[in-house]
Amino acid sequence: MDDLRLIERAVDMNETKISANGVQVYYGDNHAIKDVNVEIADKTVTAFIGPSGCGKSTFLRCLNRMNDTISVARVEGDIRIDGEDIYDKRVDPVQLRAKVGMVFQKPNPFPKSIYDNVAYGPKIHGLARNKAELDEIVERALRRAALWNEAKDRLQEPGTGLSGGQQQRLCIARAVATEPEVLLMDEPCSALDPIATAQVEELIDELRQSYSVVIVTHSMQQAARVSQMTAFFHLGNLVEYDETGTIFTNPSDPRTESYISGRIG
Amino acid sequence: MALSWLFGLLVLIAVAGFFAGRSKSVASAGGDARGLHSRPNYYGWHVALNALVPALLLLVLWLLIQPFVLNRAVMPMLSSVDVNDRGTMSLVLSDVRRVAEGIDIAITEGAISPDEARDIQADVMDVRARLAEVGVALGSDVSIETLSAAQRYRALAYTGTSVMTILVLIVSLVGGVIAYRLVRPDFRSRNVVEFGVRMLLLSAASIAILTTVGIVLSLVFNTVEFFRLYPATDFFFGLNWAPSFSGRGGASELGILPLLWGTLYISVVALAVAVPIGLFSAIYLSEYATKRVRSIVKPMIEVLAGIPTIVYGLFALLTVGPVLVSAFGEGGVLGVSWMGGGTAVMTAGLVMGIMLIPFVSSLSDDIINAVPQSMRDGSLGLGATRSETVRQVVLPAALPGIVGAILLAASRAIGETMIVVLGAGAAARLSMNPFDAMTTITAKIVSQLTGDADFSSPEALVAFSLGMTLFVITLGLNVFALWIVRRYREQYE
Amino acid sequence: MTDTTPLDAAPAGKPTKSILVEDERTRARNRAEARFRAYGIAAIAIAATFLVILLATIVVRGVPAFTQTYMTLDVTLEANALDPNGTGDRDEIAKVTTFGYQPLIGQALVSLLEEQRIETPLPPPALILMLSQSAPAVLRDAVLDDPSLIGQTVTFELLTSSRADGYFKGRVTRESLARDRNLGPPHLDILDQLAESGHVERRFNLDFITGSDASESRPESAGIGVSMIGSFFMMLVVLFLSLPIGVAASIYLEEFAPQNRFTDFIEVNISNLAAVPSIVFGILGLAIFIQVMHLPQSAPLVGGLVLTLMTLPTIIISTRASLKSVPPSIREAALGVGASKMQTVFHHVLPLAMPGILTGTIIGLAQALGETAPLLLIGMVGFIASNYPAGVAEGFLDPNSAMPAQIYEWAKRADPAYYERAWGGIIVLLVFLMSMNLLAILLRRRFERRW
Repeated sequence: MDDLRLIERAVDMNETKISANGVQVYYGDNHAIKDVNVEIADKTVTAFIGPSGCGKSTFLRCLNRMNDTISVARVEGDIRIDGEDIYDKRVDPVQLRAKVGMVFQKPNPFPKSIYDNVAYGPKIHGLARNKAELDEIVERALRRAALWNEAKDRLQEPGTGLSGGQQQRLCIARAVATEPEVLLMDEPCSALDPIATAQVEELIDELRQSYSVVIVTHSMQQAARVSQMTAFFHLGNLVEYDETGTIFTNPSDPRTESYISGRIG
Repeated sequence: MALSWLFGLLVLIAVAGFFAGRSKSVASAGGDARGLHSRPNYYGWHVALNALVPALLLLVLWLLIQPFVLNRAVMPMLSSVDVNDRGTMSLVLSDVRRVAEGIDIAITEGAISPDEARDIQADVMDVRARLAEVGVALGSDVSIETLSAAQRYRALAYTGTSVMTILVLIVSLVGGVIAYRLVRPDFRSRNVVEFGVRMLLLSAASIAILTTVGIVLSLVFNTVEFFRLYPATDFFFGLNWAPSFSGRGGASELGILPLLWGTLYISVVALAVAVPIGLFSAIYLSEYATKRVRSIVKPMIEVLAGIPTIVYGLFALLTVGPVLVSAFGEGGVLGVSWMGGGTAVMTAGLVMGIMLIPFVSSLSDDIINAVPQSMRDGSLGLGATRSETVRQVVLPAALPGIVGAILLAASRAIGETMIVVLGAGAAARLSMNPFDAMTTITAKIVSQLTGDADFSSPEALVAFSLGMTLFVITLGLNVFALWIVRRYREQYE
Repeated sequence: MTDTTPLDAAPAGKPTKSILVEDERTRARNRAEARFRAYGIAAIAIAATFLVILLATIVVRGVPAFTQTYMTLDVTLEANALDPNGTGDRDEIAKVTTFGYQPLIGQALVSLLEEQRIETPLPPPALILMLSQSAPAVLRDAVLDDPSLIGQTVTFELLTSSRADGYFKGRVTRESLARDRNLGPPHLDILDQLAESGHVERRFNLDFITGSDASESRPESAGIGVSMIGSFFMMLVVLFLSLPIGVAASIYLEEFAPQNRFTDFIEVNISNLAAVPSIVFGILGLAIFIQVMHLPQSAPLVGGLVLTLMTLPTIIISTRASLKSVPPSIREAALGVGASKMQTVFHHVLPLAMPGILTGTIIGLAQALGETAPLLLIGMVGFIASNYPAGVAEGFLDPNSAMPAQIYEWAKRADPAYYERAWGGIIVLLVFLMSMNLLAILLRRRFERRW
């Protein structure tokens, strides 16, 4: 644990962006998430940690209703963004997902050019009125994903031709381009080498200034490095949710302690 | 009958060899099979295979070669036929064969005694009538020359068969005895038998090559023959298809272009029906349908694939054709008279399209499913709707594979026979009207080879050149399509 | 990280939209979504409609072939017409051809009409046209079977002619008969009245399923039975050649073949043969089996050989798939206790793969059973399959037709009565195909193993 850089970060109490109350998720007969209550703050990086299969990814996918695409999944309870229930009948998941972007575990660039990858979201959501605006959006997104310098001369080359770390940053640029308010990241670095991981982590820390970022990770070190708030999931339960510093230095639940110290997981 | 006796005898020798080899092996190990290198049965098999396989090979080879040798032997006797006129020669030779076989049948039926058969004179006896009595029909009266050739053929065939029988039996016995003498406790019979079995397996696998070789040879030889009688340029660039029915006149015009046009036109219509329907069903099934819907609809579409083409042909001829005529024909519902008869490009194309729906849909289904789920998640996670995901991410990613599938479907359409034979019409025509009757390469292969035309006339031989063209086109399409699909699959593996 | 990241670049003044309210653009996009989805449903609906129309057409137009109109007729087999010398000798009686029986039927019809008090302007020779041309032959066969019938009055169930039959099935109407030389409205009047009195009746016709093909002018007595036997013998050839050869080839390629050019060449050949048009196999059969090897034309043996070559790729592909699905652990276990590679394959892998192999073989056979095109080229059409083969050897070697070829033959004949036969033949063919596929599905269900 000594190598953890637990820098004292200022966790200014931002306003709540997402609040979840009594969330239950079932996969067929399997009760995957049991009664989770959590409040996620704006302009903060929140990390979900826990052993594999603990439900952290499942819960993340509830936040932008990606679970809708799995026919056997069933979500109960109440999840609100800016006070609006996202499981309300009137909500169109398409609009929700424009607001809550997502980056996945494996870099998944579309088999299109780098430019078209980034422009995809703005195009379908109609964010640009003309080509110049679209160019501007693409450039801004690529800059924000720290990919502009590497990609500006090869915008028309296929996105699949980039290296793994670049691909993941391209996916982040793609998510950022739609100007979401929340960015969900499902183990964004698990397929990357240490150098690429460091780049993405640095990027996450910077994104915090504009968005509420929720990151799922199996690496405690990563959670400690990038997040201000940390939630520990175990067997579908939210065991403990607190400031990252507190979770790693002074956990209140014995299960959290066991996990942090490597006895379970 | 003699052949089945010979075969039975061979099997008998092999079975005897099996038991002999088996018991000798046990005896040689002092009654304890554990002292042997291999299990006793392997020694038995070793003897049996040695007795059977070489003898059978000899038998098959002999049977294949004997007719050629016999033909060569009697050919000089047919002085009235020009040796270079292969067509007539093969006709006369087949007459000779039929007479020879007919006399043999007459003898076994007791209609002619063997002595009588030896002394038949064509000018004294009406051979044709006598043979007709025992059920051997001949096309023309038997000339003296043919009869004497037939007699010679019979004599040679008799000698040949006798020599073959004796040789085959000797080979079988010698093989069995040699194998039997090899049986000793330390003889590695299992390895030898396994090598033998492996060779058998290999030869079974090689049948695929033999088939291809057979196809290519039968097409090439006859095509070359055709081009000796009919100029190749006229065949490939001729705009007219008008075979003369009188038989061997030079008046036939055998240009492939009208047939090729009909083939392609019908295929295009078929694809225009099958590709949108097949592709959209595949998209719906893989992207929208619930498991339950999928489990009902998929087998339902596959039923269409299990229906034989003759059924589609009949459907085109008797149902779709008349329906189309009642709509587009003279006095039809639509008041246009575009269609003269029930058989037309549209009729065949429409029905062929129905036939191809399951083909396109199941291939596209596989290909769409091969697009990784992460691609869809990425798009949906950005707030794209399902249709946007399909149109802008899944389909572009699957495009090469889908193109491959469409090419495979096109090759199917080009090679399809029964639907066009029954539904497309018989007239070769270069027309743009899809309601005209046109004909295709496959339909003409059938009509040129099922008539009474003599197989050495250009009118019949042209079918082989048509077949060659068809083979080359479909093979090219398939190889290209499979190459595309394979490259596509490798991309996502 | 050399980029400078302008953090102030966040879109200025982008209003936070409520997700509870659907904006105009989303509505439009959802409409597009619904349209796209509707295209998919429409495509499936069209495919389903085609299937339903196809099956309905087959049933509606084919089922009438299984019934036929019969007339019950008391015929007096007069001795002075059939056996004038009273010999009772069968050879003597056989000298009277079917032509000699026609007047007897004519008389029988006249007396039937008198008995029923039906008036008609037609003379007896015209009355006979109501009955099938096969009717005199039926009488003659009965007499030759039992010469003692001569002199008696015997009740016969005789087929009516195809036009009369068509009238009862609705295929033939009074209008369509106006220009027919054989049957006219007066005949129909008689038939109507006879139907009322129960002398003319439509009933199940087993002869369609078991009977033989008939000449062009007697569609009412044509059956598919003989060509069914032809198909049966062909399938025997296909089964006994393609199963062992296909399995042997698959075992070689899957278990023994070294990675080399030759193996690749075999593989390429197999995958290409699977896509060669079936008509090309017909050309192969014609050129190699008939022209070069001089096997008999139109024989089920040749048909079977051609279909074997055609189905082999299918069977090899499915057999290899089922061999592949046997997990390597089974092979390792057998090799581990000292079995040879050959023993491993034949004792363990092959038995485990057998259900899959059989399923694939049945499906391959079903494909071969419905195949028509190659049979056209080796002469299995244009041949009237009128006799059952005398024995097994004849079954393989004597000219015969096959079910799909017979259907094609009927479809080409001019008399529309034969179309009904063709549709009926399709029902018989489809029943066979369906049972084979059902068997394959059951086999798969029963023995399917998940490793």
